[in-house]
Amino acid sequence: MAEPTHNVIIGNGSAGNGAAITLRERDPDSRITIITMGSLPFYNRYDLPRVFRGCDDWREILVHPLAYYDDNRITLRRNSRVTDVDGRSRSITFAHNEVMHYDQLLVCAGGRGYLPEELSDYYGLMHGFHSFEAAITTRRALPEGGTVVMLGGDMIGLDLARTLIDVGYRVALLANEYTFWPHRIDADERGGFIAALEHMGIEVVDGMRPVAVEEGAAGTPARRVVFDDGGSLDGDVVMPFYGLVPTAEFMLRSGVDIERGLLVDPQLHTTDPHIWAAGDVCQIWSAADNEYRFYYGWTNVRQMGEVAARNVTGTNEPFEGVDDERLHIGKDGHILSPFWEH
Amino acid sequence: MSGRRRGEKESTVRPAPASGDGGVWYSDDPRDIGWVRENIPCQSACPAGTNIPGYIQAIMEKEYGRAYEINREANVLPGILGRICSRPCEDVCRHAQPGNGETVNICHLKRTASDLKHVGHRITESLYTPSGKQVAIVGAGPAGVAAAHDLSLLGHDVTIFERESDPGGMLRYGIPAFRLPRDVLHVELHNALRLGVELRTGVEVGSGEGQTPLTRLGKDFDAVLLSTGSMAPVTLPLKEGVGKDNPDSIEGVEYGLYFLMEMHRGEKKTVGKRVAVVGAGFTALDCARVAKRLGAEEVTIHIRTAEEYIPVTKDEIFECKREGVRIKGLRSPAQLSVDDGGRLRGIEFVQNRLGGWRENGRRAAIPIEGSEFFEPCDTLLIAIGQRTVNDYLDIKLELDRWGSVKADEGGQTSKKGVFAAGDYVSGPTTIIEAVGNGRRVAAGIDTWLMGRQRRRQVVRIEPVDGPLRERGFDFIERQHMPTAPLAGRNKELTREVETGYDEALAATESKRCYLCNLKYQIDVDNCIYCRACIEVAPKNCIKLVEGVEIREDGTYGELLETSEWDEVGAIWIDNNECIRCGACFMVCPTKCISITRNEFVTQDI
Repeated sequence: MAEPTHNVIIGNGSAGNGAAITLRERDPDSRITIITMGSLPFYNRYDLPRVFRGCDDWREILVHPLAYYDDNRITLRRNSRVTDVDGRSRSITFAHNEVMHYDQLLVCAGGRGYLPEELSDYYGLMHGFHSFEAAITTRRALPEGGTVVMLGGDMIGLDLARTLIDVGYRVALLANEYTFWPHRIDADERGGFIAALEHMGIEVVDGMRPVAVEEGAAGTPARRVVFDDGGSLDGDVVMPFYGLVPTAEFMLRSGVDIERGLLVDPQLHTTDPHIWAAGDVCQIWSAADNEYRFYYGWTNVRQMGEVAARNVTGTNEPFEGVDDERLHIGKDGHILSPFWEH
Repeated sequence: MSGRRRGEKESTVRPAPASGDGGVWYSDDPRDIGWVRENIPCQSACPAGTNIPGYIQAIMEKEYGRAYEINREANVLPGILGRICSRPCEDVCRHAQPGNGETVNICHLKRTASDLKHVGHRITESLYTPSGKQVAIVGAGPAGVAAAHDLSLLGHDVTIFERESDPGGMLRYGIPAFRLPRDVLHVELHNALRLGVELRTGVEVGSGEGQTPLTRLGKDFDAVLLSTGSMAPVTLPLKEGVGKDNPDSIEGVEYGLYFLMEMHRGEKKTVGKRVAVVGAGFTALDCARVAKRLGAEEVTIHIRTAEEYIPVTKDEIFECKREGVRIKGLRSPAQLSVDDGGRLRGIEFVQNRLGGWRENGRRAAIPIEGSEFFEPCDTLLIAIGQRTVNDYLDIKLELDRWGSVKADEGGQTSKKGVFAAGDYVSGPTTIIEAVGNGRRVAAGIDTWLMGRQRRRQVVRIEPVDGPLRERGFDFIERQHMPTAPLAGRNKELTREVETGYDEALAATESKRCYLCNLKYQIDVDNCIYCRACIEVAPKNCIKLVEGVEIREDGTYGELLETSEWDEVGAIWIDNNECIRCGACFMVCPTKCISITRNEFVTQDI
């Protein structure tokens, strides 16, 4: 009896899980393995702000019950970091030296928060929001009613800011070109959106360029952000939100084309016949725009995973993204982003 | 199966000669030469053939002067290359193979040897007796300087003719001081040329008025070496519009090479607030970083393919970005746009998609029809490549289709006694390639002048008592190069950005090297096939084999692996997989595993 096809998915987010269940539905006999660097099963990233409302139990934010993976015969490999993919031998190497072979590979590794290179020395002094554990750590570092200094903003950070203000924290936002990422905002619209942020209770500091993060002096908040003009801003935690960059480093020697993310055709196929990509990790060729572009947001990402999985199993359909990228101001004067819809 | 002796039992460690220097022996056996070439990937990738494990081990032992001398045997400019080398060695480092982590910082360690050697360090060089032969070298760039050094060591009288006021070529006039401090450059050039090389600067070789004709050098010297580099920029191919044939005639547009050269000659350069750099090499990055330091507010490097495929080091890209330079990919300039005053106002680009791989190992970019878009800027620096110039020649030399002079392996051109080296022959490459080629051509000139080859390469084999590494070393993280604080960096043109390893960082990083020059072998005659070594090995590095292929040139080929015990001819350490952890050596109950250090050395013939 022939070995079942081994479909390997790198990434345990909405793209990866959308792909996994689609594969299972279309190919009941295949082996499906999801590999993730994280320690938790698939949880809803949009629920992470709940941590600041007191949610301490990771089970509360899981998308599926714990038995989901067993029920669907999906092997979930947690805490597993892929360091290399070799397209010629169709093998994956892990940081712990294990080698795994695949027949078809779906790369759904997503993106990680971008930190501008000029601030990279201060990474250790900043707090993260990229995982449940990071959110818990950040909440524990925040005193009641404390101040969060947000660098940049972006739609992930601004979503968190809404919750932080709602539960009594202060948010000071250093606004810059990333503040409304991934929305493209015209210069004449920007003032209105900044005013909306202030209306939401966010203290906006616009036009200042942070060049350093320091530990606060005794008797002052724990962190100080220093600006290029010598000025500074104090806060209890400093959180960078500069949009996402694709997590694609482990694919550099795989043989597939990469610009910022993995370059794929509209069918989400990379330049390797056995490798597909979906989600924030890939740039999709858009004939309409004449460029490789990213599509963000839960709806797009989930759909990409499903389309890629259908194409792995023999269809040849293009991904047609939800292209409404407009940022709105709602009746209450607060900003509203389709990025937040899920 | 031609050239293959299947099942040959190549199992016994060849014994050292009875007499010798502590059991050291020298071999010209093709198997030993082939082993060194194939099993020390960093050294094989280095165009100068630097003994990298040798100098890293010396650093581990805090013998910085010795490390510097090991470097100098292959490359007379270790302090310089330790800063600005393109690092082909690191691309192939065994530590970067899947599952092994990240490459060793070979280049940073090279710099460490230079930085941390004793201030009174004495250079040791063996001089040959004077030959009475005279050699003229045209061009004091890295190839010319490397050749001059070797030729002077070999006893020849060398005169360098250099048109600029100081030696160094691209090192001095193309690379900014924040990457290559001028005191380091001065000391190493001085050390390379101080063995009696006569340096005549401000002398232009050519057929014009006030210039020295090449034909005269041919008469006055026994041999002439042309090493004038690739010192003209490649012109920007524009589709149409203003400046199509001469873009640098537009105000605000300059060729990056000339921009840097003029600045390093002492001219005051200025840039606009919004600077675009077109190009993907070190010159493009240097232009961008200089523009930042000259006060540009927004600097963007536009590249045809993607960041992943540009031929510069990741460290350079990172520092460039830290300083605020942006890199935008998949675009080619199509035409320039000027304002009413004729000044540059922006560039129309065409969007690209990635194409296949080109012959030169670079990615192709395919323009997408109808995808033009506009980006405003007020300064454009063009750095898309360099080419050689032959207009100074008053003798006819055979050229290749790119206009570079044709030369044989020994550097001899189509005219007897006239040699050529470095970028002048190969077109623009890297400094380490120029140094390596300069040295090879110097050997060719020496052979031609003396009528015979006087030196040859052999393998020095030295028994080693035990593993020089610990397994724990394999888990040490890559040690990053410390850099100057970002604050204020963009205000200084000469402050060095990379500040160098201290002793502690150097010691930690040096431990990461696998020391691939160590050869582990199993003496099958004493092996009891207990498999203890296989069980303890962290990699799939110890194999049961029928035998080993021997290629037509006498070197080892592939291992003929087997899993059938009745076919096992030997148990063999695959030195390509081996990470020299020493676990097998320690566990072997019969002590049948031996370790030797294998290094290329040059011997007189």
